[in-house]
Amino acid sequence: MSSWIRLIIFLLAGPVVGGLLTGLDRRISARLQSRQGPPLLQPFYDVFKLWQKENIVVRRSQNFYIFFFLLLVIFTGALFFAGSDLLLVIFALTLAAIFFVLGAYKSSSPYSFIGAERELIQMMAYEPIVLLTAVGMYMVTKSFYVHEIAGHPTLLVLGLPGIFLGFLYMLVIKFRKSPFDLSCSHHAHQELVRGITTEFSGRPLALIEVAHWYENVFLLSWVYLFFASVPVLGVAVAVAAFVGLILVDNLCARLKWQTALRSAWVVAAVLGFGNILVLSFLRSH
Amino acid sequence: MIGFRDAFSKSPWLLHYDASSCNGCDIETLACLTPLYDVERLGVINTGNPKHADIFLVTGAVNEQSRDVIKNIYHQLPEPKVVVAVGICACSGGIFRECYNIAGGVDNVIPVDVYVPGCAARPEAVIDGVVKALGVLESKQREMVALADSIDKVVYLRAAKIDAPELLALQRIAYQSEAELYGDDSLPALQQTLEELEEDFERRPQREVALLGVRGTEAEDPADRVVFLKAVVNGKIIGSVRGYAVDGTAYLSRMMVHPYFRRRGIGRRLLDEVEAAFPHVGRFEAKTGHQSKRNLFQLTQRGYQVFKQEPFTPAITWVYLQKQPAGAPPSASSKN
Repeated sequence: MSSWIRLIIFLLAGPVVGGLLTGLDRRISARLQSRQGPPLLQPFYDVFKLWQKENIVVRRSQNFYIFFFLLLVIFTGALFFAGSDLLLVIFALTLAAIFFVLGAYKSSSPYSFIGAERELIQMMAYEPIVLLTAVGMYMVTKSFYVHEIAGHPTLLVLGLPGIFLGFLYMLVIKFRKSPFDLSCSHHAHQELVRGITTEFSGRPLALIEVAHWYENVFLLSWVYLFFASVPVLGVAVAVAAFVGLILVDNLCARLKWQTALRSAWVVAAVLGFGNILVLSFLRSH
Repeated sequence: MIGFRDAFSKSPWLLHYDASSCNGCDIETLACLTPLYDVERLGVINTGNPKHADIFLVTGAVNEQSRDVIKNIYHQLPEPKVVVAVGICACSGGIFRECYNIAGGVDNVIPVDVYVPGCAARPEAVIDGVVKALGVLESKQREMVALADSIDKVVYLRAAKIDAPELLALQRIAYQSEAELYGDDSLPALQQTLEELEEDFERRPQREVALLGVRGTEAEDPADRVVFLKAVVNGKIIGSVRGYAVDGTAYLSRMMVHPYFRRRGIGRRLLDEVEAAFPHVGRFEAKTGHQSKRNLFQLTQRGYQVFKQEPFTPAITWVYLQKQPAGAPPSASSKN
């Protein structure tokens, strides 16, 4: 499949798959709590409704940042699916997150301020392991290009077990799941009102939701990349990782930000950096 | 697209506020979220954020402390929105009705769409009320869309006494933004009763005339001196203005446009029409609150000039504006 076809499939199917995954998430969560839960298409109803709601803003410019957040998340995924440079993908993703934070800062509300600060802390927590993942993948495949990594004949996870576990840890933070749902929670915690998204309503909120869908699809595709040489296994692991995230979400209470940051760095140092040390040790022999 | 139009009835996000009372209804409302009742199967999310909510669910009677909170929250909900009063205290004040600090039911403060009686309201009744609210939400949405689609089909007509209830309802909605601006709901427009509004059709309001310092001539009052205009879309009144001619001056008042239709030229057109209805007066006079920048801007754009300011309440200062059309006969009251 040419990179253009993959790119177009991502752009079109990304939000559909992402929305269905979110619907599945809510349904499985409900079942874990012995509730019936909403219909599978609930996230789409939510977004359609938000699209038709009135848009109340503190400053009109805050919506501008959200537009760029969505645009850059799509750009990140598009680069990834087009088989581009993994480092560029990572920095595009970071830039997207920064735009989201800027949008929240722009609205001058104490709740969205705290949400934005916590989002920055979360970024600090997951950024090291993301970079180490790219480094690890380079060490195994000798390339930063996604299409070359995906075309590598061996299972990447065999050389990168520690980094893979660290990546899963990072996924919990990136999906904003308990115990790391610090900046804005999907559940009924209301001490931050709604954290980083507090001051957004109507269409910008719908855009944020769609951006999360794209982001989730992109992140799960990255899980697939660890198993790219055996596609069936890759899809199976990506699905398993997603279900595992939901399970963790329902099992854990929220952590303090200090614990979140410290634990993520310990994971990055021990699993991620340890993995890379072992790789370079093996390489030199 | 799948369910784009009926998305409103499938995704009601709910904000719950307990105004006062015994917390009975409060607990029963939260019980709706538990596995036994699970309102999330209807797409309901209990959000803590008014800006994300569609349904404002209030339990308990309104007291002097929760009054402003309720108003504040209500204004932060984006349109279309629905208010559900849960429990008899929220509906009417209940057994707390006579208490010295109780203002009564929620509808004393904000417009309520669905009433759920009960002491305490059972979770089944609360869910029933929310489902009823979905119907209201959807009809409000349809109304919003239908009205927005036919914005170019607005007709400007003389209002009659039979329009008074609808005008009063519009007045309540339209002046909410002014009340929010001043943090004060003692605005005369919000205090007016149906009887007073009906009287407005027959004679000049005594109070306002007295305020303006114009004396006499209350006795004779030809009907053509009172002009009551309405802007109508799809049979629904979305804007209105009143004009009273006294001694060669036309006093314009209660210029209002429904919040869904602002900034689309309806107010400007109403002013045009009402000014045209007084071809022989030498002077137009209007007044507005000092913080209503939009009104002041619109009036000054049309050639009105500020000539007097008068404190009304600690929060509101009336600003009086006047305009003398070129070539008009000099009026009697302009000599004052």
